[in-house]
Amino acid sequence: MKKRDAISALRARRLFLRRIGGAALAAGTPAVVQKAAAESFPTPGYDWTKRRWAFGVDATKCIGCLRCVEACKVENEVPLTAHHFRTWVERYVYLEGENRPRIDSHADPVNIAASGSEREYRFANRYQDAKVEKAFFVPKLCNQCEHPPCVQVCPVGATYKAKDGVVLIDHKYCIGCRYCVQACPYGARYFDEEKGVSDKCTWCYHRITRGLQPACVEACPVGARVFGDRNDRQSPISLFIRNNRVHVLKPETGNAPNVFYVGLDKEVN
Amino acid sequence: MPKHVFRLLVLLGAGLAAALVAKWYFTAESFYQFGHYRAGSVAEIAAQEPVLQTSAYCQACHGERHAQWSAANHKTVTCEVCHGPAQGHPQKGKLPIPADTRQLCSLCHERMAERPRTQPQIDLAQHGAGQQCAACHNPHAPKLAGVVAKVSGDAASGRKKHAESCASCHGADGISPNDTWPNLAGQHAAYLVTILGAYKSGAQTDVMMSTVAQTLSDAEIQNLAAYYAGLSCKTAAGEKAAGDAAAGKALAKNCSACHGDTGIGTNPAWPNIAGQKAVYLANTLKAFRAGLRKDPMMAGVVRGLNDADIANLAAYYAAQSCGPRKPS
Repeated sequence: MKKRDAISALRARRLFLRRIGGAALAAGTPAVVQKAAAESFPTPGYDWTKRRWAFGVDATKCIGCLRCVEACKVENEVPLTAHHFRTWVERYVYLEGENRPRIDSHADPVNIAASGSEREYRFANRYQDAKVEKAFFVPKLCNQCEHPPCVQVCPVGATYKAKDGVVLIDHKYCIGCRYCVQACPYGARYFDEEKGVSDKCTWCYHRITRGLQPACVEACPVGARVFGDRNDRQSPISLFIRNNRVHVLKPETGNAPNVFYVGLDKEVN
Repeated sequence: MPKHVFRLLVLLGAGLAAALVAKWYFTAESFYQFGHYRAGSVAEIAAQEPVLQTSAYCQACHGERHAQWSAANHKTVTCEVCHGPAQGHPQKGKLPIPADTRQLCSLCHERMAERPRTQPQIDLAQHGAGQQCAACHNPHAPKLAGVVAKVSGDAASGRKKHAESCASCHGADGISPNDTWPNLAGQHAAYLVTILGAYKSGAQTDVMMSTVAQTLSDAEIQNLAAYYAGLSCKTAAGEKAAGDAAAGKALAKNCSACHGDTGIGTNPAWPNIAGQKAVYLANTLKAFRAGLRKDPMMAGVVRGLNDADIANLAAYYAAQSCGPRKPS
């Protein structure tokens, strides 16, 4: 009881000092600076209420080079194994006479063999001698849904939707129950066994809050990935959505994804 | 109130109070600030340091490379895609220059039915004879300047102009009298048109050739090219070159994709080098290496050559037969 009292007294004092400090600072700074400082969250240079991030994927441009997967893993310290990834690319191949596509990703054993290890990423040229009727790549990542089911199921408030639209994970609060991994209909989340927490794409939150592009967008050599702020009508993503007929994955779930696709085939969802 | 009910209520009350205190104590300060989560975690996630630094970061020191890259058709492939993340560079050391370019380039350029048709693609088994891509292509400006210039000149007029302006250095029959100046007889006309045009425009510079080419009209360049292409390249065997031709032959494998096995190129946009003067060849390769003569492809090819390699290559090509006389 004594210890708790001491701690609560400390906390009260800290809060009190902080308020006094804040008031002193407020009195000493001009009104404009003060307003910006008060509103800017989470960082001094970035206000999350001003942004509405969205992502575009033009599947007709993707060449399946997997540089996005590599860039993402490097940028976000994703475990370097085939089955842990924040973004991935699926390959759909319709062979002549078959009415269902053959689907694989970098995690397919044939593709791991082609790249040489699970730390490198490459699509094997496995259909070069087959009669391919139609084939294409589809890049995927977290959809940062408007109504995210993963957030709904979290029992501890460790995942949430930020005001700028990105669904984030608080790794300190995550208890590793993996409900969210199960809840995501897109398979966008994975479980990091080493850290004991769930993880997923954040659209490189630490980059976009600094005015940079997400790592995968930065790395994509063909412009298949587009990112920007929908509040800015001239941003790449606003133009992408306005100038293309766009589609989202699994619209029937009502999650309202914020990744918009061009060039999806009927079998892709 | 009966005693046992009172006790129960007290117990319940104490339990509730303990629960509330526990909740207050264990809930992080910022937990309900914006909703059912810890607001502090947003700032924590945003505080992570970016690993990829973007090409603008590289430009600060590698300005020349950056300028070449950003003007060419690989400008959409950012530096860190091939060289890896620049975080901590240069303090923590150098970034890798990919050695196995055949492996690297094929990630995007291996022919696959799945790729969009607009993507440049090659059959790995048939392209480049198993050489590294960087042997011919400069990764920063990969497009080969293999555009074949149109040749529509008149050889007879070219002969006159040759006698007036060129013969004093390049010889009466297009066979140079000394080892420093190149033979022109039997050279590809399209190549001659391109190189003379480059000297004329200033895209390529040379102490002698720049001044000469500036006096030539486009028609005269065409005529000269047609004239030289029609000459016989047969020469008397020159004095023995300084380098080791056998060693040069091994190195020449890296040149064969464009210049042919013995220095007779298949594409008329690229020069024949078989039977060419050894000193001229060596000087030209050194000029490419020093950046005095400009060509993105050759710059990439000669980057790894030392002086001995260059002497050997020159000796090898100088010793080759320039082949049958080519119809212009």
